[in-house]
Amino acid sequence: MEFAAHVSWEALLQQVLVGLSRTTILFIVASGLSLVLGVLRIPNVFHGSLYMIGAFLAYSVAVFIGGPAGFAVALLAAPLGVALISLIVERGLFCRLYEREHLMLLLFTFAFMLVFSDLVKLVWGSDYRSLSLPPMLQGSFTILNLPFPRYNLFLLLVGPVVAFGLWFLTNKTKIGKIARAASVDREMVGAVGINVSWVFAAVFIIGCFLAGLGGALVAPTQNITQGMDHAIIIQAFLIVIIGGLGNIWGALLGALIFGLTDAIGILILPQFAIVFPYAAVVIVLIFRPTGLLKATW
Amino acid sequence: MRRWMMLAGLFLSLVLVWSVGSALAEKPIKVGIVDCYSGPPSTYTNDVRDAFQLAVDKVNAEGGVLDRKIEFVTRDSKFKVDIGLAAAKELLMREEVDILMGTINSALALAISDLAEKEKIPFFATFSKSDKISGQAGHRYVFQITENTTVAGKAAAAGLAKRPYVKYWIAGDDYEYGHAIAENAWKHLKELKPEVELLGQSWWKLGEPDFTPYITSILSAKPDAVIIATGGAGCVPFLKAAHATGFNKQVPFFMHTATELSTLKPLGLEAPEGVIGTSNYFYYYPETPENQSFVEEFKKAFGREPKVGALYGYITAQLIIEGYKKAGAFDTEKFIDAVEGMDLATPVGKVTLRACDHQAMLPMYMGVTKKVEGYDFLIASDIVTIPAEEIIPSCEEIAKTREAK
Repeated sequence: MEFAAHVSWEALLQQVLVGLSRTTILFIVASGLSLVLGVLRIPNVFHGSLYMIGAFLAYSVAVFIGGPAGFAVALLAAPLGVALISLIVERGLFCRLYEREHLMLLLFTFAFMLVFSDLVKLVWGSDYRSLSLPPMLQGSFTILNLPFPRYNLFLLLVGPVVAFGLWFLTNKTKIGKIARAASVDREMVGAVGINVSWVFAAVFIIGCFLAGLGGALVAPTQNITQGMDHAIIIQAFLIVIIGGLGNIWGALLGALIFGLTDAIGILILPQFAIVFPYAAVVIVLIFRPTGLLKATW
Repeated sequence: MRRWMMLAGLFLSLVLVWSVGSALAEKPIKVGIVDCYSGPPSTYTNDVRDAFQLAVDKVNAEGGVLDRKIEFVTRDSKFKVDIGLAAAKELLMREEVDILMGTINSALALAISDLAEKEKIPFFATFSKSDKISGQAGHRYVFQITENTTVAGKAAAAGLAKRPYVKYWIAGDDYEYGHAIAENAWKHLKELKPEVELLGQSWWKLGEPDFTPYITSILSAKPDAVIIATGGAGCVPFLKAAHATGFNKQVPFFMHTATELSTLKPLGLEAPEGVIGTSNYFYYYPETPENQSFVEEFKKAFGREPKVGALYGYITAQLIIEGYKKAGAFDTEKFIDAVEGMDLATPVGKVTLRACDHQAMLPMYMGVTKKVEGYDFLIASDIVTIPAEEIIPSCEEIAKTREAK
């Protein structure tokens, strides 16, 4: 085993910053999954597919409009497009299944993952796609003598904004309060005259919007391709599990653990870095089998 | 009664004549292609199939080979060994193919190679880069068209040894291909230039989406140069992260397929310049009439420029066509004897299929990524051709590894 001899405080600090910017994407995707899981009680397997569609939509919108404005519009249009798709799926098919067994719902979302994967192939083909950043987000700053990409800094700003928005939505708005109540006792919420079905739809759409936002945000940093869905869904589920099923702050905590152990592992033990986040998951689950924060399940 | 007998006799003789007739009519030569046509690898494999089709359509229009048409059927392996192997078996039994080809997946290529040896059917490995295919696991019925990991590693070493770098870092995909490229590059670099020093290594999981933390970690070690052993899906995001962090401006790095069209085209002008890469083929290089006419035909048929896989598919088709022509008969053993040591006029010039290990002797082009006017993506510049003879292991070396097996 070879420890990297070069690890300095500057490098470590910088790696933490890179890890945090990576955490942003993980948090956004995982929080959407967690929201749907918490309120609707559905482990949505096609959440990863929506993330992939978000990335492809962002690519198409940005290319269609072009220029720096294209990227800005894509960041909003792609998640809205994904939200629209999820609205159709939810109202058209999903809402008929809420009363069924969980296994049915799980199979349904799994089937949709396969359908979406074929649809993406049909619409966008199998070539790699790559989205360019607007000039102001290209290149890097030098922080502590090491380069730090501007876009990662942008992600570091987006993360807290989304977290605050979610906190506001779930704690300060009426629909958030109703959704939280519905997740605890849906019969009671229905009994006081609230249309639970629409509450569920709204929550589902917000969760899917977050998947699309994650995809749009990640699009400029990697190649947009089939298979993105599988890679993210496994990580997102792990994050939701270690954070506590259905708990949004758990998703934040889980994403932080996952992102940071990953980044620091890469610096300290580069040959075995792959193991770090998974080892963290195992350690958390040994000590807290239900996740770090209170699960809503 | 006699009338019945006569009718029966007539009927029987008709059946006989008909069956003899259909046996005499030219049964097509059937090629079965197993490859991954779903998911990201299809960006490479579609080109193999399409260029193969291009060559086959051309020869069929001229009446085929020895008056027989060439037909082909494809099966999707979904990048899985068991699915691909089952498909190969199905092609042999149900479709009764005469020749198998394909697979970008090395493990699957080795499995089909085993099957081909047992069934005595020629198998052309088109895109799988394991050096075992023509090396230690090679046999009479398997042919490797693409360059392999030994060749790629040796080419990297040959190019890097000429540069002044001493302190290296190695990073790559944590699976067979990545490790094989890195090991071969390092072993041969050490032989050519003993003073080189390895500062450390990083390995990421296959399909790693974001390389920024790896790059910042490598930069903090301050190597002179870096060998990146990532292929296929990893190339685009790696170059993106390299561009975003300015990695290429701080440390020169080599990445085997960095200059390939499938890597550079999606990146547009936002790819890093100065990245050293190697490839078997560019549609814009070599600038020979043979290559230009191949590119034109391919573009006319499929509406896009051919990538490296197209060269592999085209050469395979040429081998099958010329092999049967030379053999003069539809006999597998005669066909193999005919293609062994055969010279082909290909888009990259004369290519020999070496007799001792059935490896196609393709030249390797080492170039550096550069923005060039007239292209809306980066292309390889300052291309140095490394002839196959310089980088392919000798027949003696191959014999040794096969004995050691």
